Amino acid sequence: MPGWSARLTLNQKLAAGAVALGAVALFAAPYPGSKVTLDARELALVVGTEADHVEAQELAAWIIENRADYRLVDLRTEKEFAAYSIPTAVNIPMSVLPEAGLGRQEKIVLYSEGGIHSAQAWMLLKAQGYRSVSMLKGGLDEWKDQVVFPVLADSPTPVQRSRDERLRAMSAFFGGQPRSAAAVAAGAAATEGFATPQTPAVPRVAAPPSPAGGPKPAAKKRKEGC
Amino acid sequence: MTAPFYQYGMFGDETSLVLAFFIGIGFGFFLERAGFGSARKLVSQFYLNDLAVFKVMFTAIVTAMLGVTYLAWLGWLDLSLVYLVPTYLLPQAVGGLILGVGFVIGGYCPGTSVAATATGRLDGLLYVLGIFAGMVAFAELYPLMKGFYLSGAGTGMTLPGTFGLPYGVVVFAVVLMAVGGFYGAGLLEKKFAAPGE
Repeated sequence: MPGWSARLTLNQKLAAGAVALGAVALFAAPYPGSKVTLDARELALVVGTEADHVEAQELAAWIIENRADYRLVDLRTEKEFAAYSIPTAVNIPMSVLPEAGLGRQEKIVLYSEGGIHSAQAWMLLKAQGYRSVSMLKGGLDEWKDQVVFPVLADSPTPVQRSRDERLRAMSAFFGGQPRSAAAVAAGAAATEGFATPQTPAVPRVAAPPSPAGGPKPAAKKRKEGC
Repeated sequence: MTAPFYQYGMFGDETSLVLAFFIGIGFGFFLERAGFGSARKLVSQFYLNDLAVFKVMFTAIVTAMLGVTYLAWLGWLDLSLVYLVPTYLLPQAVGGLILGVGFVIGGYCPGTSVAATATGRLDGLLYVLGIFAGMVAFAELYPLMKGFYLSGAGTGMTLPGTFGLPYGVVVFAVVLMAVGGFYGAGLLEKKFAAPGE
């Protein structure tokens, strides 16, 4: 069969090769399944150093800065999510998390009411090879305590005053208001016994102007193009 | 051993910069060897008498796509860990148009202008200076453009994801598109051949 192949130019042969490889690729399944190996030592290290935690006020700063290099995931039920959620969060209840289509290279921040569900979800995602998963420390409880209704000092020192200023702005951004330390202490005293502690009802917060967006950290930046 | 090596922590940021340097040298070398260090060669694709740019770029895309597909299929590359540039559809379309206009007027695109500068071409050097001036202007005007620049944010869109097609079907379709494109390019080149050729 030297006849017809000799008549083809090099370019035509290469094109034919590409078409053949492309045709075989029709049957390709290039994404791996859900089974991966876990590096127990790495996991233990991450857990031990709390490298997988995001503090409530840190997250609040990201939202105010309009950063978009991470995805905030609310693990609670749809109903709870509708009642209150942290601005910019997407609702992915625990039960549908494995099929939610999160990218494994994405930076993901999980939160639930307290911390248990997000810790379980963290392990689930880690076990599936997600690289950059972290949890909101203390969950929604700590978020409300430290960001929406932060406690301000009663007779602040200059250092505390500048911190309180920042807290006040943060709390206003998320539609809450600060509490004074004295009131919190009085509230705690009044509720000693079996009464439920009074947490102010959290108002529904409107999302900030453009929820997804913001500069990427410089270290992550890649360039491409001709 | 599974790629991407960087994602699997086989080397750190410093090593990756060194590797990027050598890959960049290689990229520039092949741009120059393809004739893309010359503005004449580059703009002749807009006169439709030499579509080498289209052919070289599309060949690179098909080669890389087939390589990535087969490596991932063999389990040597974890595709889900490959970095996808976030998609901002409208801002990126506008940015593409601006780049295209700059390409037609200046005769280079960013990479080729650097390759041209490296071979001592003054028009390439001027183009590179223009790029830096544009970067400074962009940074200064960023607060005004930020709203538009960040509009329509999405995590990296892919062809299989957007059209809901199996990965392999998209690969095959892109290969056919390339081969069809090369055939069409050949016809165009014949039709618009520069006088005297």
